[in-house]
Amino acid sequence: MEVIRNQLTNLTRKQIVLYTLLILFFISYILFVNYNYSFYKTPIAVIVETDLQETTETVDPFQNKDQVTTQHLTAQLKNGKEKGRLIHLINEYSTSGAYDHAFQAGDEVFVTIDSNGKELTGTIKEVKRDKYLLLMIWVFIFTLLMVGQKQGLFAIISLAVNAVLLSFALDVYIQTSATSLLLICSISAVLFTVISLFLVNGFNEKTYAAIIATLLGTFLSLLITYLVMEITSEKGLKYEEIQFITRPYQMVFMAGLFIGSLGAVMDVAITMSSSIFGVYEENPGISTKALRKSGLDIGKDIMGTMTNILFFAYISGSIPILILYLKNANPLGFTLSINLSLELARALAGGIGIVLTIPIGLYTAIFFVNRKRARG
Amino acid sequence: MNVLVVLAAILFLLMTLIGGKKGAKSFLAIFFNFAVLLLIILLMNDPNLDPIILTFIACILISCITLFFINEVNSKTTIAFLSTLITIVILLFFIVLVNKMAMIQGFGEEEIEELSSYSLYIGIDFVKIGASVIIMSTIGAIVDVAISIASPMREIYLHNPSISRKALFKAGISIGKDILGTSANTLFFAFFGSYLGLLIWFKDLSYSLGEIANSKIFNAEMITILWAGIGVAMNIPITAWITASFLVMKKERKTD
Repeated sequence: MEVIRNQLTNLTRKQIVLYTLLILFFISYILFVNYNYSFYKTPIAVIVETDLQETTETVDPFQNKDQVTTQHLTAQLKNGKEKGRLIHLINEYSTSGAYDHAFQAGDEVFVTIDSNGKELTGTIKEVKRDKYLLLMIWVFIFTLLMVGQKQGLFAIISLAVNAVLLSFALDVYIQTSATSLLLICSISAVLFTVISLFLVNGFNEKTYAAIIATLLGTFLSLLITYLVMEITSEKGLKYEEIQFITRPYQMVFMAGLFIGSLGAVMDVAITMSSSIFGVYEENPGISTKALRKSGLDIGKDIMGTMTNILFFAYISGSIPILILYLKNANPLGFTLSINLSLELARALAGGIGIVLTIPIGLYTAIFFVNRKRARG
Repeated sequence: MNVLVVLAAILFLLMTLIGGKKGAKSFLAIFFNFAVLLLIILLMNDPNLDPIILTFIACILISCITLFFINEVNSKTTIAFLSTLITIVILLFFIVLVNKMAMIQGFGEEEIEELSSYSLYIGIDFVKIGASVIIMSTIGAIVDVAISIASPMREIYLHNPSISRKALFKAGISIGKDILGTSANTLFFAFFGSYLGLLIWFKDLSYSLGEIANSKIFNAEMITILWAGIGVAMNIPITAWITASFLVMKKERKTD
């Protein structure tokens, strides 16, 4: 209790404004998600009653056992002409739930109204998920602000600005399909780097050094990957299973690889430059050689964990599809090569970028330190 | 020659060239981690095993490889290991909860056409698999944050052994704040990169805002990004608290 009281009395005006804004934001969130039905043209229904019809045990051709259940749902329409009326829906779900859902009273769904007699009947089109997304966004903002305060706020701003920028860049790409996606991504990459690093680290020489190192590291690793793909004529890359493709897939793959490694490379670049500047500021008389050695030691320390971050971020998304393939009696080798080749290539290329950025970051930072020394 | 083999060879060369023995170890660690991931995925095919428990075991193994194999067993890595596991347990609980509510498990309608020849009734709980995906995507970053906080906190403690637990905790939080932005950025861009195809798809097929906001795939990917940020942030006070308690407790035991 005392801790809380102490915290309350220690609040600055800025913090009070911040927390008030957070609370207001939360209230408007509650209001929005509960009353946003009229924003949608598609009919929305809230399930009020579920009635279990029957459950059957199923065995598929690969001896996988599952249970499929049919439920009869009564739901109330929340918008449109029929607002307030009840609608009857049939839903079928399995215990695995790979492409179906068990519904409970209180769940909201988008429906199409099929017959409009005395009793409305319809089919479920999609689950209404917007409120959960908003809830998560709220929890995200709250956690980052609570833990990170100013730095948390900058991380949120950086995410938002970069997301808007990416969306805008893709709009430009789609409208002027003559320009290459890679060119647009290169321009965006420069902007992403400058914006993120200034937001995370402020305007100073450490940041300038990190920006230069990031750009050099990313472009160099992209060049290496491109050359490898040319020399091997892309043998081993399976584009067949690349998802959501409406455009030349190689371009999309390269652009994704490019943007994907950018964050990790930035992280390495800023770690290198901050720590080298840190060592220098603690001991301004330090020789370039000693500076190089301590920089390299730091680089060795972060190399392993950084490559692992990218590796897991890329590969883990494939877990559901791998399980589905294996459960459908596909051989392991085929399953892996068809579903993982692109992710592995991305992780390896990102790793190359991370490792290359260590010496690049080291020498850029030393260059800036020496320039500062010469001037000061 | 195969693209993956050449890229892996280049990565190995660079890592040993720049990192020496530690670099070679780091490269091996990626392969061990890959092996763990594959093993866990194979085990997840058994409907009698709980995917959540399997994920937790995978996290233990992966943290061991990343912390104890690349570095060594000492108080820093042990603390980082403990903090990682505690963060994972807390996250897993909430992730399963949200996954169930938001119904983001399995495959979206955009993917299902390609999979039409596959049997989807395979008896594996996809809600839990979905939670596993989110945790495994962020495990690398969580381990990274834990060691990046525990290591300088130990330095501070060694330089200033009389420091109070509260002061040490505060120092840990302040270190954590500094790495929060970059660690979150690393994950954000990694996900932006993987979802680039999806974003172009939404724009090409001119999805409306309402359709995007409720689409299963978009929600699944956005929620993964948000959990990654939350996981990294949550890990900071947990690691700072455990490190501070552990180091100060060790001192008290010595003086007794």
